[in-house]
Amino acid sequence: MRPLATLLTAFAIAASSSALAQETPAPDQPPVPAVDRAAGLSEWEKINAVFSHPRCANCHVEDDHPRWSGTHYGETRNHAFNVQRGTDESGFGNPGLRCTTCHFESNSNVLHGPPGAESWHLAPAEMVWFGKSSAEICAQIKDPERNGGRTLEEIAVHVRDDGLVGWGWAPGPGREPAPGSAVETFAALERWNAAGAPCPDG
Amino acid sequence: MRLTVDGREIEIDPDPEMPLLWALRDLAGITGPKFGCGIAACGACTVLVDGVPVRSCSLPVGGVEGDIVTIEGLADGDTLSAVQQAWLDEQVAQCGYCQAGQIMSATALLDEVSDPTDEDIDNAMGGNLCRCGTYPRIRAAIKRAAAMKLARA
Amino acid sequence: MASIGKIARRTFLIGAAAIAGGVAVGYWYVSRPYDNPLEDDLAEGEATFNPFVKIASDNIVTVIAPRAEMGQGISTTLAAFVAEELGVPLEELTVEHGPTSFAYYNGTMMEESGPFPWFDDSLLASIARDAFSTVGKVLGLQATGGSASTRDGFERMRQAGAAARHMLLAAAADRFDVPAGQLETVGRTVVHKASGKSATFGELAVDAAKMSPPSSVKLKDKADWTLLGKPQKRVDMLAKVTGAPIFGVDVMLPDMLFGTVKMNPVFWQKPASVDLSKAEAVKGVVKIVPLDTTYGHGFGVIAENTWAAFRAADLIEADWGKPDFPADGAAVNEALNAALATDGSRLRDDGDVDVAFADAPADSVLEAEYAVPFLAHICMEPMNATARFKDGKLELWAPNQMPTLVEYLSGAAIGLESANVTAHTTSLGGGFGRREADTTIYAAIMAKEVEGRPVKVIWSREEDVRHDSYRPAAKGRFRARLNQDGLPAALDMRIAAPSVVASVMRRTFPSLSPAGPDGTITQGSHDQPYTIADYRVSGAKADLGVPVGFWRSVGNSFNGFFHEGFMDEIATKGGLDPVEMRRKLMAAHPAAVKVVDKVAEMANWGEPLPAGRGKGFAFTLSFGSWVGEIVQVAETDAGIRVEKVWIAADVGTAIDPGIIEAQLTSGAIFGLSAAMGQEITFANGMVEQSNFHDFDAMRIHQCPEFEVAILENYHRMGGVGEIGTPPAAPALANAIFALTGKRIRALPLSREVSFA
Repeated sequence: MRPLATLLTAFAIAASSSALAQETPAPDQPPVPAVDRAAGLSEWEKINAVFSHPRCANCHVEDDHPRWSGTHYGETRNHAFNVQRGTDESGFGNPGLRCTTCHFESNSNVLHGPPGAESWHLAPAEMVWFGKSSAEICAQIKDPERNGGRTLEEIAVHVRDDGLVGWGWAPGPGREPAPGSAVETFAALERWNAAGAPCPDG
Repeated sequence: MRLTVDGREIEIDPDPEMPLLWALRDLAGITGPKFGCGIAACGACTVLVDGVPVRSCSLPVGGVEGDIVTIEGLADGDTLSAVQQAWLDEQVAQCGYCQAGQIMSATALLDEVSDPTDEDIDNAMGGNLCRCGTYPRIRAAIKRAAAMKLARA
Repeated sequence: MASIGKIARRTFLIGAAAIAGGVAVGYWYVSRPYDNPLEDDLAEGEATFNPFVKIASDNIVTVIAPRAEMGQGISTTLAAFVAEELGVPLEELTVEHGPTSFAYYNGTMMEESGPFPWFDDSLLASIARDAFSTVGKVLGLQATGGSASTRDGFERMRQAGAAARHMLLAAAADRFDVPAGQLETVGRTVVHKASGKSATFGELAVDAAKMSPPSSVKLKDKADWTLLGKPQKRVDMLAKVTGAPIFGVDVMLPDMLFGTVKMNPVFWQKPASVDLSKAEAVKGVVKIVPLDTTYGHGFGVIAENTWAAFRAADLIEADWGKPDFPADGAAVNEALNAALATDGSRLRDDGDVDVAFADAPADSVLEAEYAVPFLAHICMEPMNATARFKDGKLELWAPNQMPTLVEYLSGAAIGLESANVTAHTTSLGGGFGRREADTTIYAAIMAKEVEGRPVKVIWSREEDVRHDSYRPAAKGRFRARLNQDGLPAALDMRIAAPSVVASVMRRTFPSLSPAGPDGTITQGSHDQPYTIADYRVSGAKADLGVPVGFWRSVGNSFNGFFHEGFMDEIATKGGLDPVEMRRKLMAAHPAAVKVVDKVAEMANWGEPLPAGRGKGFAFTLSFGSWVGEIVQVAETDAGIRVEKVWIAADVGTAIDPGIIEAQLTSGAIFGLSAAMGQEITFANGMVEQSNFHDFDAMRIHQCPEFEVAILENYHRMGGVGEIGTPPAAPALANAIFALTGKRIRALPLSREVSFA
């Protein structure tokens, strides 16, 4: 593998593991798992509304194709141009057609132009949200095998601080943003966790 | 600002938000990269920045760092690059408008994959639209260029 | 076929419109040869022999290939005609488009404007062809279209080469004092072997040009051709792989400004109100000017760079007004239905269809309704033109397909006679019939506002998609009566579509109102080489208000789908193999049968296919060439994949097999792209699509394999540039029927199936 691809792969792995979160100071009070299922589920609904929103779910797919949806894009469909996860599974596309061939550090301000954020890439396939039920997404989030080895606290911080995640609330002209904000979603994750992180019945 | 384009330093004074494509074309007079869509959907504007293919119609010039290579900088004097020579040998172009972008994407592909399969070609070139339908010859030319590069190496 | 009586009762739209246009242009002398435009602009020591050849003292031999090079390879083919007879290798010639001139009229393009099918060799048909060809000459219509350029140049350009050679040899014979018969040429040098004397063309040019041109030249027999009939290296290829500045968008002039246009998204309307303040505030904007033209109303933005112009155009705020035409899909459909309820014009009316259906048993009758949408051209090079207005003269640089009309119309838009307008034709980044005069009209108006400074006006892709001259939407109702043997005894096709000719006239010569039928509405259905006893094809004009124009293969682009889709249905109902049925119905036309046989053989038609695969066949005679296509599709997890396409085409005489193969493949991909997924739709009278995210074309990963055979059985030469398109859509739809059992009668197919 060429150096570029190696670098991209390494970056993907780093970004999707807990490595980045380690610098975040631990919260003063470790969450005590209270069991308030109704309150927890209410928080989860807010979180799920974000995770299952097309701005987030379109790039959390199980297969190799990011999705397009929204006004002027027709029904939800595979990203055009044969854009794919990448034969090296990196999530950064293929040689000759990387995600970053079109998606730069910031949004194009032209309607239908490519959105942008740091390190634009596809989430690993195991972190699938697209086409999944609320219960399935919830189970995935809580499963360290499929959430990049993160604690729930680390997930909340990742959602609050990561540039690419944050793009979901500022997706550029013509695109509907994910509901709420990064900070609100962080808070909802904290409260959900505090309430025992209940998942809806699947 | 200064940009290094095709091995030359150029000095231009663009609004940093101006896409690289228009800075190259209108301000620097480098017209090899073409305008096709303005939304990174056709690939006609493709250039390499530090070896990575980018759609210059959507990349703000203010953030560009690194060496830019356009179609005009591929040849070494009168000697065409392997990809260009293969394009000539296979008589690929019809109208020719998209071919600068096609050649740049193919160049990027072959820099990473020395002997691409049909699937590699499909995966690399789907972002480059050709309205004349030169795809069968593009495919043949990429394979020819790969063979030429391996032979030259 | 149409009888003399029927023809006499008709007027013909294209002829009538064109003659009227000719009067407007002001040229009417049929017999007067046009001046050689090269004489006006010769360098010191340079000589010209005819409008197609000039030779400089430094031995540069320039061939004028006066047709728009839009990828079809015409500059190479026209130069090869000259090279063949001049006796100079193609690569030693310099090839240029040359100036705009009536001398470069295209006679062939109009030849088939009469109501005669290609295979009609009757005296009447021949007379009509000559007459329409004369119209082209009278108009001095320098135009590229109708797949006519090679046919048009075939005699003229070979003669130009032969005449120049004759004059060069005559000059050398005088200089060496030897008989011309003892001379030969090596490259661009005339040699007298016996004496060892030689002189370059450049040394002889001035003397040679003074020689009288031969009154007649004997052209080489086909058997003696060294270049023609063989694939040539294209003369434009090196420029195109090195990014040379050959396109309209690449024009760079001293002191140049840049610009774009923002035209009313509601066709024809004047904006009710407008606020330019935000647009004018964009840094780099020089001036925003109103554009009020026969093509529509809107604004031209002149700026220091294209990007500033684009941004300002986006910020123009206006109340664009209300459409005065069917404003959405439902209204378009209603208008087409209304037209279908009228009789229309019958460009084919064999036997008596009404009688044939009057007593038809119900189970012998097949009926179907077909429809196609509007389509955009989306040339890769967006619409553009550069203009400079200075000292009362207008100079234009533009990729265009009709430079004489561009000069006239663009000049007229700012009150200039054509004599004060000079149009330079650049290479075209795709044409497909789109490149009209709107771009240069707008650029001319803008240039006049900044007198002295050139303005390069490039449209955004959004403007390009939303202000096209669209392929018409069309609808057809068809019925067939089948015999016991499954063959059609009667076929009745009624087709409604907007008139392309009327629409072109509206935006070019709006004061003239064209009358008579428009053959493009049924072209591809009324002129096919099928023998059916009772066979009627009628076309009704439906004025949908949307500007429509020439889209690669014009009416054939939808009639191919209509006619050949329905033929496949007939074969299915009759229990016949679709290919075998064609052999029977086309038996009177051996060229057609040979094409059918060839493509069937290439594709192993009839051989059982593995599960999950299907093949479809279609045939269209268009632009004088006979084309059969077979498409193979496969069911995959990702959807239907177009795997392979076989094409056999009889072009009569194949000048450059490499270019013909490329054009056939290109035409088929163009047709498949449209059939698979393209449609232009309307809401509130405005086009809904805007760029490649919602109006795309086939990409490399969707592209099938191609196998092409070129035949030369028919005795007249056909066209090449458009002929691959018409059979592509029906062959694909028929293949999908074979694969899935689903008969899709409306395009695009993506409404019903998904593609990989």
